[in-house]
Amino acid sequence: MQHLLYIPVLLAYVAVTVGHLVPWIVPAAVRERLRALGAAGVALHVVALGADVAVGVLRPGLPEAVSSVSLGVMVMYATLATGRQKALGLLLAPLGLVLLGLGLVVPHEEVAGLQQVQGVNAWLPIHLTLLFLGVAGFALSGAVGALYLYVHKALKAKRFDVIARLPSLDWLDQTQFRAMLFGFLALTLGIAAGGALAVASFQQSWVMDPKVVYTGVVWLIYAAALQSRLIWGRRGRFTAWVSISGFALMVFSLLGLNFILSSSWHGYVG
Amino acid sequence: MSGELIAVGLSHHTAPVSVRERMAMDEDRVKENLARLHQEGAVSEAFLLSTCNRVELYAVSRDIEAIQEFMREHRGPEGEPIDRYLYWHRNEEAVRHLFRVASSLDSLVVGEPQILGQVKTAIRLAEESKSLGRTLNTLTRQTVSVAKRVRTETRIGESRVGIGNAGVDLAQMIFGGLTGKRALLLGVGEMGRQVSRAMVNAGLEELIVANRTYERSVECAEEHGGTPIQWDRMQEYLGRVDVVIAATGATRPILDRTHVQKALAARRYRSLLLIDLSVPRNIARDVEDLEQAFLYNVDDLTAVMEQGKAERQNAADAAVRLVDEEASRFMMKLKEVSIGQHIGSLTKVAEQIRMEEMERSARVLEGLDPKQRKAVEAMTRAMMKKILHRPISTLRDAAREGDLERIELLMSAWSQEDDS
Repeated sequence: MQHLLYIPVLLAYVAVTVGHLVPWIVPAAVRERLRALGAAGVALHVVALGADVAVGVLRPGLPEAVSSVSLGVMVMYATLATGRQKALGLLLAPLGLVLLGLGLVVPHEEVAGLQQVQGVNAWLPIHLTLLFLGVAGFALSGAVGALYLYVHKALKAKRFDVIARLPSLDWLDQTQFRAMLFGFLALTLGIAAGGALAVASFQQSWVMDPKVVYTGVVWLIYAAALQSRLIWGRRGRFTAWVSISGFALMVFSLLGLNFILSSSWHGYVG
Repeated sequence: MSGELIAVGLSHHTAPVSVRERMAMDEDRVKENLARLHQEGAVSEAFLLSTCNRVELYAVSRDIEAIQEFMREHRGPEGEPIDRYLYWHRNEEAVRHLFRVASSLDSLVVGEPQILGQVKTAIRLAEESKSLGRTLNTLTRQTVSVAKRVRTETRIGESRVGIGNAGVDLAQMIFGGLTGKRALLLGVGEMGRQVSRAMVNAGLEELIVANRTYERSVECAEEHGGTPIQWDRMQEYLGRVDVVIAATGATRPILDRTHVQKALAARRYRSLLLIDLSVPRNIARDVEDLEQAFLYNVDDLTAVMEQGKAERQNAADAAVRLVDEEASRFMMKLKEVSIGQHIGSLTKVAEQIRMEEMERSARVLEGLDPKQRKAVEAMTRAMMKKILHRPISTLRDAAREGDLERIELLMSAWSQEDDS
């Protein structure tokens, strides 16, 4: 990653986050344009990532992974956080910022399997893009799920002063479901693309890779949640908790798992 | 700005509808009137805002009498002069009034959104009639942006009143709105009717009415455009609606946990809003423990209403503050521009005097060498600058304090040239 290009992105995300968390210290002119500022940050973020690709310094590794997820989260922020949905900024903006910050400070660890990928293989970018889209979808689903739990609790406790400013319960429920479905589809296709990549590059069995197994378990959890919603109408707090824990598992997979997995292709070799 | 900023007009605050309807103008009349005001030299810039609740002229003018003359042509329904319905605002007051009007703070229903569109139309008509100059151009642009700020920053557009609308607010919190939703009204008590009526007005798709005596439910359903059903088919309909409003005179609960649980299963656990307006209550309290059932009673509705009231007051206060702030900021900007012009003309006069004097002494000065001539030049300049220093800073102070009289006085001391 070329860190210099990320400085304006970081500044934009910091401003957006501060604007949402402590709005009263931000001048009104900025406070009114947080979403536009976020969108500008996203555009710069795309430029920074694009520049990395262009000059060939993009060796997919930990920082790039985290930075891509941050981009996905901020895209969702810039698309959704308007009107009553502005409260989403309270969760999405800090999440995007923290992920970007992590991307800038974590050491560049390279994924073991990459060293075996011969030349240019189209399956690699497809595999990566789909999985980051998936994680971004789960991030949104998790953030919305958390907000759902809060609004549900406030509605039951009859605390009307807080909910009047938040999105409606149904909107949160729908959005959480759609984001989860989106993440799930991307994850499914991403895993399939990873399989294709493994077959094309390593010509050997890939199923028993520990990260694949771990992701498979998360996939099953999401599949079960979506299934029970679509068939039995299971929704609400249950789905919200699945959203939150599913995203936590995904973050662990992204940040922690690769360090432990020395025997995996997905493990880091430094 | 050549002249003063004037706002004159009448509105639902000052004039009955019989007067307002006589004054109201269509687009062509607005243009005609603007053209006339210009031709007669009554105004240098102007625009006319005409809605069913107000007719207002905003103008930059030196000739208030000409505007008064223009207004006097209009008569009330009994031929009476309309003077007594008119309000006049000048300068900052005029700006503040316009900002309030455009932000819907002066509307019949405070916070209604149409007024900004009407203001924009007025601006467009004035643009088409070429009757906007620099001052009103800036003012109208600022007006639109202030109105938008008020709308986005103060939640003034979300105001609603009454117990019926508290039900709508609850539906808003849970469903995000009532479009496409169905409600079941149990009993035909007055409060239940109020809530149903508000919900129908807010876009409820269908209202189903059940009462112990079928005839009364037919009657009530007709009144609200709903569907009457037999009392014993209530459970069947319970699973098909999103909102239940209970307002019967029953002394024991008519809906218990099992009823509601069945209804929830039938609607695949989508949220169900239950409003119990009866005392004693009609819906068993343990229904509240069901995750997707949201049960509220009369007291809760009152709390929502109070919340709405408090919020509306807050929103209105915040909006007024914001508008007043913007109005004084705008005036400050306007004054800065015109004080800049005054200072410009002041220095121009001084420089002219200096040049004239230098020319008059040209013959003497010719005898000097370039270095000496330069020194004389610098010296006269410095003198002028020092002489002007106090008047200019006094002008600036006067502008800051909005003391127009002192500005006029100071400028008049600078002879004929101040007339720019």
